[in-house]
Amino acid sequence: MPENPEKDPVIGQSLALYLLVAVLVLVFCLGWALWEEFFGLRPWKTYQRAFVARYEAYLKKQVPVQAAKEKAIEASGDYQSLQQQLAAMKNSTAPQAKELDDQTARVDARTTAVLNVLTTARAYVGSRVYEIEHTSSQSGKASIQKDLDRYKAGPFVLDLPPAEAGGKSERISVNFDQLQDEFNILQQEKGKLLLQKAALLRPVSELQAKVDSYVKDHIDGLTVESLRGIRKKYEDYDVKIQQVNNPDAGIVDRCESCHVGIREPVELTRKNMGKDAMAGAFTSHPDMELLHIHDPEKFGCTPCHNGNGMDIARVEKAHGHDEHWLWPLFPKENVEAGCQQCHARDMMVDHAPVLSQGKDLFMWRGCMGCHQYKGYNAEPEELVSTERSIEQLEKDRATDQLDVQKSIQAGDQAPDNETAQKLYLKANELQVTISKISLQIDELDRRTKYLMMDAKKVGPDLKEVAVKIHSDWIPVWLDNPHAWRPTTRMPRFRFDEDELQAVSAFIWQDAIKAALPQQPPGDPVKGRQSFETRGCMGCHSVGEGANRVGGWFAANLTRVGEKDNYDYLVRWIHNPRERTEPYCPYEKRDLTADDYKKHGLPFVFDHEHSKCPNDGHELQVEQMTVMPNLRLSIQEARDIASYLETLKEKDPSSYPAVPYLNDPKLKEKGELIVRSYGCAGCHEIAGLESEKGIGTELTVEGSKPLEQMDFALFVREAEEEGWYNHKGFFEHKLAQPEIFDKGMVKAEGEELKMPDFFEPIDAKEVKAIPELSAQSHEQIEALTTFLMGSVTSQYPERYFYEPSGQGKDIQEGWWIVKKYNCEGCHQFTLGQSSVLMTLPQYQTPDGKGQLPPRLLTEGARVNPEWLARFLANPSLSDSDTDRDGVRNYLKVRMPTFYLSPIEVRKLVRFFQALSQQPIPYIPRKLEPLTAQETDMARALFTSQAAPCLKCHAIGLPAHDQYASAPNFLLAAQRLKPDWVRHWILDPALIDPGTAMPSGLFKQAEGHSVFAGPTPPIFKGYNGDQAELLVRYLFELTPQEQQRLIQMSGKNLMPASAKPATSELRRHSPHRAERALVGMLTPAH
Amino acid sequence: MDWHQLWEIVSAPDNVPIVALLFFVPFYAWYGFRQARENDRLIGQLEADPQLAKTHHRKIFPWKPGWTKEVHTWPYLMRIEFLAAIIVTVLLIVWSLTLNAPLEELANPNLTMNPAKAPWYFLGLQEMLVYFDPWIAGVVMPSLIIVGLMVIPYIDVNPLGAGYYTWKQRKFSIATFAFGFIVLWLVMVVIGTFIRGPGWMWFWPGQTWDPSKVVFEPNRDLPDIFHITSMLGKGIFGAVAMGIYTMAAWYGIHKLITATPFNRKIYARMSFIQYITMQTFLVLMLLLPIKILIRHLFRIKYIWITPWFNV
Repeated sequence: MPENPEKDPVIGQSLALYLLVAVLVLVFCLGWALWEEFFGLRPWKTYQRAFVARYEAYLKKQVPVQAAKEKAIEASGDYQSLQQQLAAMKNSTAPQAKELDDQTARVDARTTAVLNVLTTARAYVGSRVYEIEHTSSQSGKASIQKDLDRYKAGPFVLDLPPAEAGGKSERISVNFDQLQDEFNILQQEKGKLLLQKAALLRPVSELQAKVDSYVKDHIDGLTVESLRGIRKKYEDYDVKIQQVNNPDAGIVDRCESCHVGIREPVELTRKNMGKDAMAGAFTSHPDMELLHIHDPEKFGCTPCHNGNGMDIARVEKAHGHDEHWLWPLFPKENVEAGCQQCHARDMMVDHAPVLSQGKDLFMWRGCMGCHQYKGYNAEPEELVSTERSIEQLEKDRATDQLDVQKSIQAGDQAPDNETAQKLYLKANELQVTISKISLQIDELDRRTKYLMMDAKKVGPDLKEVAVKIHSDWIPVWLDNPHAWRPTTRMPRFRFDEDELQAVSAFIWQDAIKAALPQQPPGDPVKGRQSFETRGCMGCHSVGEGANRVGGWFAANLTRVGEKDNYDYLVRWIHNPRERTEPYCPYEKRDLTADDYKKHGLPFVFDHEHSKCPNDGHELQVEQMTVMPNLRLSIQEARDIASYLETLKEKDPSSYPAVPYLNDPKLKEKGELIVRSYGCAGCHEIAGLESEKGIGTELTVEGSKPLEQMDFALFVREAEEEGWYNHKGFFEHKLAQPEIFDKGMVKAEGEELKMPDFFEPIDAKEVKAIPELSAQSHEQIEALTTFLMGSVTSQYPERYFYEPSGQGKDIQEGWWIVKKYNCEGCHQFTLGQSSVLMTLPQYQTPDGKGQLPPRLLTEGARVNPEWLARFLANPSLSDSDTDRDGVRNYLKVRMPTFYLSPIEVRKLVRFFQALSQQPIPYIPRKLEPLTAQETDMARALFTSQAAPCLKCHAIGLPAHDQYASAPNFLLAAQRLKPDWVRHWILDPALIDPGTAMPSGLFKQAEGHSVFAGPTPPIFKGYNGDQAELLVRYLFELTPQEQQRLIQMSGKNLMPASAKPATSELRRHSPHRAERALVGMLTPAH
Repeated sequence: MDWHQLWEIVSAPDNVPIVALLFFVPFYAWYGFRQARENDRLIGQLEADPQLAKTHHRKIFPWKPGWTKEVHTWPYLMRIEFLAAIIVTVLLIVWSLTLNAPLEELANPNLTMNPAKAPWYFLGLQEMLVYFDPWIAGVVMPSLIIVGLMVIPYIDVNPLGAGYYTWKQRKFSIATFAFGFIVLWLVMVVIGTFIRGPGWMWFWPGQTWDPSKVVFEPNRDLPDIFHITSMLGKGIFGAVAMGIYTMAAWYGIHKLITATPFNRKIYARMSFIQYITMQTFLVLMLLLPIKILIRHLFRIKYIWITPWFNV
């Protein structure tokens, strides 16, 4: 405080300068606020202006380009001739049209004249009628009526212009009714004239439309006219918030306020929208087809992409990248995660290959063994609920039975007849109920059986280890499966030496000890051929790394000889579903021969003998593997097994000895470990059959709060490195689960259980992100995408893709197709190729002929009832099963999957739905052939130009080994006539690349006619010749086929009797030819 | 030292007022006391010169000839207030333009935030919950604070010191206010903001707020130390303990009130009811720092346990 001043400081001090400065600052702040208001908080305005400028510039550049294209199209002969045609047509119709126009004009003039009078008259009459209706007294009504009648009598004078060209005007006087008639007649006349004109001009206008749209239909891109239209739209563009608002789903998305061009009809790339970062916002949506399926007006953007649709104040906020927004934009590599919330029920999502791969991997890698996920591995859960329903029903039935007895007793002692009858009636009703319940239980029993057929495990059955595996190999494998077989799906469990020994000992001692029949050795050379041609390689592969050949679905067999017992392999190949002992889920143990002996039964268990002899419950009678039965002969199985035994890198005897395997002390410890690691999720293990998955449920893991994810000591590090989010967690957890144990002090057995599915390139070092192979990264990305999309949706369920009918059939079918890897051999959609199609042995023309059929139109092709039979038993025979029911000429063979009727039904419906075929299928009725038609058909069948039997199998082995198409005898049951007709007419349309020749028929006078030299018998026949063939095919009998074979004679010989596979190449063509001719000679 | 954590707390938009408070409160306290000292010197001068005291009305500078004895509100006060209003407006505009509302994610009933903190001005109340049971800390104490503030004009019998800064003439009032507001209220707000982390655990500035931190902080009640287990025993023990405290505090405060001759003069002006009221509130106010201390030093949770309330 200064000294006491001379001047009064309160009065003498001026605040002017302070005030001036303060006010200036205030004004500046106001300016600042206004700037924020108009620009700072509304960056989208800048975006829109920039877009409009760039878009216009681009369109302007496009106009001459498209104009040149248009000119080229207009100069084309087609267009010119259309133009000329149009001009000529216009000229020819012009005079008639003019005449009609003139007539119409005259009628119009007369109508006007009539109306002049009629309008007034009608108004007057109308008002008088109203008065009559609303006058109460009769006399009043009558008087008005009289007045009205007088008025109606007229006369009304009409001055009508001439009715015909050059005619005279006329003046007539009429009464009211005549006046009205006159008007109606004129109206009718006009109607007639207009119809005439329309009929006259219709061809002209149709041609005009064709000419008008010709350029548009033929130009690549947009026409100049539409480009101009777009430019005009943007000329007076109004800068404003562009918003999709769907109150029904609570979607308000303003993304298009910046991404203005996302839906423009012109394809915009980053390149042609500028060089700066903004250009990235102006591109078109990369998959316009997706937008057609999911109309943005309904779905907006954020349901798929996430982000904050309402916030457009800043780019980061709009993309949801600020700290508190729970649904940030999906990163580019995981963008398909957005599909999952609505497509959770689909196994296969079109347009989303990464997500589909993730879904597939989740099943294939066995994630569902530990982690529940709705939809995956549904059978065990359904089994439990079915079991409960049965128990409940059995209880109900017992109660009802007691009640019946009580009612009858009470009825017997009833005081009067009426009461007694009531009670007896009740007893009757209860008995009916009991019978209903019994039926229900039967149905549920059957369902149990089917579900047990469908329940599969990812890994092999460990009960069979002792008969299957060399004991020395077990600890080597358990230590690190990836080291032994790099491509295996079995993960590494990070056991230490003690644990390793304990687990090995438990597995070994827990397994069934049985003696398998000794098998004589087979021929490994033949075995190798069988392995390579029978279809094994659709799933299995041989060779590591770059040398790997075969499918990815099942084990790589490069070193299988080091571990498997020969005798077991033979049994496995002969029928992989064969079990040593059946498992009774009720008693929770494997049954032995003694159990059967006790009840005097033979030790036989299969799908026909699937009831437990002790308690009548359904047994697990087959191995829970998806590997099918190829129905090979035991000799062929021995050959293949012998071949597989040769596949090894070192001798089995070189493995270190494992004396501890039989140490009973280790067993107990091993069991604890096996139980705690959830091994039973993927393997069948004695004593642990009904273990539950040990992992957390993942159905909505993507929306689990981050705080609840176990980042352990990595929260801060993750935050700093930018992976403190779901994506980061999933990726790190999948890449190296043990990372989250790092630094934590944990007791033994409390460490994280999740094993390593992906092997780091350098396994020694524990790093946050281990170095992984490119494939591992790809798989992690797919799984991460899948998990990120697994969320509790904020949108109403009616927006989910939960189709009924065919859509649902397709959804359900894909689960089965993926479960059994049908795609290993078959092609379902054009974009997808089967594993076999990519193998070297199927690349030659002969090899291509050996490929399994493509199933692109299977649903339209085959009769669903037949398909069901075929899927259940592809040999189509109960006795002779070492064959393929349809294409026995192929080396590769459709195996028996022992599908339950549930899965067969789903698959059949799947195929029908894929081809949009209605269910149930009601066959078209075919006209029976007349005798003459039969002769004609025979002639066609055996004609030189179309020797059908040359390629199609006929049931004679010598011929059929060169055949490349199925036997005609199957057609009637197997095929649908409509499909056959289309197939005969143009097979290449249905199955591009088929061996069946196209162009056998041509169109003439609305009928299809044989394109080759028509056999003479057809003279005078004007029916459809393809249809004739179809009818003949569906009537074909074995006798008839025999007759055809005889008729064909030498024509039957394959064009080049060249063996299709390497095995057959040893036969000389001549010998084959001779053999064939020799066979046929007696028939001549 | 976790600078990142510290920065996160300091830079949170919610905490701007508290960070500002850390600077403003000491500054204005100093500023006020400086002015008070000047005024006290003038008061001393005036008291020494009765002539001057009689003519003088303004208490800032000693009066000089030529100065008016009174100054009009308009314009001399209003122009200063106007300037202040403009400056505050500017501050508010800048604040609102640069700092957005600290909104967080959609509330999730299944996931409560940790720590869940009250708005900054209530953090002191929330911190009080650590020391008293919710009934006392949440209802009784806030009511007493409000009632206590309302009572001030009725028990303030000191006629001096209105309209100007002074320390000399209002030592007791200013000391009490500084203790109640700055020491108790503000310190608790600062503790609640900077010290209390997840789980309402104590984190020194610079420690990482780790929700999974494990601490060993057993709490016991005072009767437990004396092995009193029965409810009745605890009630009686607590009542006795509180009685002793009340008497001691009463005596101590009375000593303070009558410490100087000036104070004794003021005390003499007080009626019995005024005195009782003031003593009651002061005794209760003192309970809070004592409770804080014994809680932190001896880990004692409650002194007096009854089925209805705990102190």
